[in-house]
Amino acid sequence: MTDLAPLLPVDDDLDTGGFFEAARRGELVIRRCNGCDAVLHVPRMFCRHCRSWDGRWAPVRGAATVYSWTVVTHQVHPAYPVPYTIVLVDLDDLPGTRLVSRMPGTPELTAGLPVEVWFEEIGEVDGRPIVLPQWKLVTSVPA
Amino acid sequence: MSLDEGIHHRDRCAIVGIGETDYTRNSGRSDLTLATQAALAAMADAGVDPFDVDGIVRCDMDTVHANDLIESIGLPNVTFWCDVGQGGVAAAAMVGQAVGAILSGQATTVLVFRELNGRSGRRYGLSSARSTTIGGGGTYDELYQPYGLLTPGQVFAIMAQRHMIEFGTTPEQLGRIPLACRERANANPRAQMHARTLTMDDYLASRMISTPLRLFDFCLETDGACALVVTSTERARDLRQPPVLIRAVAQATIPSPQPGTMYPVLARPNITELPATAAADVLYRRAGLGPDDIDVAQFYDCFSITVLLQIEDWGFCKKGEGGDFVSSGAIDAGGSLPINTGGGHLSEGYIHGLNHVLEGVRQMRGTSTSQVAAAEACLVTSTPLPPGSALILTKA
Repeated sequence: MTDLAPLLPVDDDLDTGGFFEAARRGELVIRRCNGCDAVLHVPRMFCRHCRSWDGRWAPVRGAATVYSWTVVTHQVHPAYPVPYTIVLVDLDDLPGTRLVSRMPGTPELTAGLPVEVWFEEIGEVDGRPIVLPQWKLVTSVPA
Repeated sequence: MSLDEGIHHRDRCAIVGIGETDYTRNSGRSDLTLATQAALAAMADAGVDPFDVDGIVRCDMDTVHANDLIESIGLPNVTFWCDVGQGGVAAAAMVGQAVGAILSGQATTVLVFRELNGRSGRRYGLSSARSTTIGGGGTYDELYQPYGLLTPGQVFAIMAQRHMIEFGTTPEQLGRIPLACRERANANPRAQMHARTLTMDDYLASRMISTPLRLFDFCLETDGACALVVTSTERARDLRQPPVLIRAVAQATIPSPQPGTMYPVLARPNITELPATAAADVLYRRAGLGPDDIDVAQFYDCFSITVLLQIEDWGFCKKGEGGDFVSSGAIDAGGSLPINTGGGHLSEGYIHGLNHVLEGVRQMRGTSTSQVAAAEACLVTSTPLPPGSALILTKA
């Protein structure tokens, strides 16, 4: 085990910073084009489909399904003790748009399992909390 | 109509010399010494002297630059040099740049090299994260590495898992690839794994690194260097070795390859296909050949799954049928498509794809330690994650 802090993302990159800014507010956003509504993920400013520079950070629901995963059993970084599972999730609102998450241990996974977003504060840079959108298996079934 | 209509480099250049160092875990030599040794060996094999070499092509991840080699060997007539990237997709394209330099009159005899102390020096399989903040500046690492997604092996593991989900590919099928590579390495005295056999039981019992990939699904880490000499087919006929013709070479991209260094490939619509599909279209067209014409192939094998995906992408079977193809014995000695006949990255050594080109040359010379009888065309791929490159070699 380790007390080392996890790697903190550069959260103020000119092209991707909006993702982390939204996460700080507890919001999940994906970059979209205002010209043709194309999904620009991973985030970038120019839309190659309609040649527009006009884009937005569009909120999406924090609902997705498991697309693929790997259980990491060989440790390569002191801040990430094994085993843990990297999950690739497919957004319900934008099928084909995929994000990664880390789940502790070795959860029982199959493709298509529903997952929901949660927001993990993992540290602080220059007084700003650094927050990652993470995903967990949906356990509670609505009554 | 494709943009390269009317462009003809087919058979106009040849590989006339190959050389390599020993492949080890600790060379005890500098990168410059390794590059110099491999280059001298390739020049000696070709029978060219330092005055003849007027071009140099290196990989963008070589630490040795053109001027370093010019100084080290004493190459007074160099008038062309360039770097090719990114990393593992460079090797075939490096030969392509040599062809371009020769056919455009910028050089006549080009030295292509790749050196690395990949085990005793910088190890690509380890996390490169050194500071507490990560990413930014167009790397897109910030969207992935903070989650603990830290190595190429973990990325390919997620792709392998998806291949299993979609197509039912099994660990036993994946294992056929490291086994084939190991058997070829057992025949190759240059291979790091020459003396070590591998059975399916060994494979299945090996340590899990990142599911579903086990230890033997991962390539070696190697200290060593490879070099080769390219010249025009016309000049090649006067040299020492039987020329091996560069039938065709290509770089190609899918329409949406995703930016960054590695991780954003997981944002591609389809993660069970590599940009090899695009390289296959362009290369086969340029060569006037297809999968049925290929007698032997050297697939870029950073991981076993990388080979499985490419076998499908290069049209040797349908998408999803790679597992059945490899377990049919097709990739083994005597099969319809023997692969990685020197042992590949999985068992010969990891010289970032350039050792695959050297092995392709040996197959066309008829000097491989696992020679494929009557082989007339060899495919060599450099098509792992980013848009890649590949070439087809033929006998003169």
